[in-house]
Amino acid sequence: MTGTDVERDRDAQIDRWLVGRARDGDPAAYEELIRRHRDRIYRIALRITGDTADADDVTQEVVIQLWTALAGFAGTSAFTTWLYRVVVNRSLDHRRRHRPQPEPREADLAPVAGPERSVVAGEAVRAGLAAIARLPENQRVPLVLCQIEGLSYAQAAAITKTSEATVRGRLARARATLLAEMRSWT
Amino acid sequence: MTETLACGRPTAPLVEQVAEGRGQMLDEHQARCPHCRAALGEIERLWEPVRAVAAERPQAPRSLVESALRSVRSSRDDVEYGRIETPQGHTRVAARVVVALARHLAAQVPGVEVALGRLAAEGHRPGGELVPDVEAGVAGGSTAVQVTLAAAYGQDLQALGERIRTVVARGVREATGLEPVDVTVHVDDVFD
Repeated sequence: MTGTDVERDRDAQIDRWLVGRARDGDPAAYEELIRRHRDRIYRIALRITGDTADADDVTQEVVIQLWTALAGFAGTSAFTTWLYRVVVNRSLDHRRRHRPQPEPREADLAPVAGPERSVVAGEAVRAGLAAIARLPENQRVPLVLCQIEGLSYAQAAAITKTSEATVRGRLARARATLLAEMRSWT
Repeated sequence: MTETLACGRPTAPLVEQVAEGRGQMLDEHQARCPHCRAALGEIERLWEPVRAVAAERPQAPRSLVESALRSVRSSRDDVEYGRIETPQGHTRVAARVVVALARHLAAQVPGVEVALGRLAAEGHRPGGELVPDVEAGVAGGSTAVQVTLAAAYGQDLQALGERIRTVVARGVREATGLEPVDVTVHVDDVFD
């Protein structure tokens, strides 16, 4: 077992302890649980919605609603798998509610900024976020989970309730789509 | 970019190679193939915005999360205050501050895996200020705090409790001016 595996096991053990106490009604345990995961919640929401105001909304909704939703967490999977699934679904719902127009086709995409070598880091991030936000949902989610957040194929498959092969396939398509869009900017 | 390069190699694996951070790790063919090297260079350049997003680690706005937690939490903790009198006036310290301090301090003690803080109910007057029954009539305030924790397996838990009591009492005293008259340590679990 590697150092990272040991650390992951320890984190999962702490999560289980906190979840157990939170489900028994201990608000301090719930707060600690949120503190441990708030940045990941926010980042996943931000990368899936592509908008900081939307990410703020999703983060707040998740923090408020998870307290009661914890009762529905069976504990058969890792807490993070369940949590990230909640965040992904809520982010997609939020985006659908607030941007009801269909996903743009590649031909409709207007360039936001060119990924030139000279662009400052902030511009590169904005260009990347905009491109990711334009991916179809089923490509965007595995890309955010694996490519951006560094989760394994197995974790992403568990979160999205698909197979590892499906995650790999969608991730490959997402990368190809992104690359095509980046190329259209130059 | 075409699906197959002039050298006959498909481009899709090159995209994966760059996306997974292996763009500089050339195999034998790539090391001497100008088509592969040019394609890898081009993909590296195009991939930069995605790499920039992955490298950025924005944090959740703290005030946003705290305000969401406030709507979850019972309001009791928000209305209790410790009170430190001085000739020029007084300083009020919210109970939550003491709780947060105790949690931070306890969590840093070696052997503690995770710690939660709370005010020990018997130390406070319900709905009122933290202290007065302990040192009534003396300038200054006292507080009683409870730390609940999970500890690492294989250590002297009594000694751990003493260390936590010392660290928490000293830290709360130094940071707030309140006197921790009671620090109760509750070891709830041990982790292997």
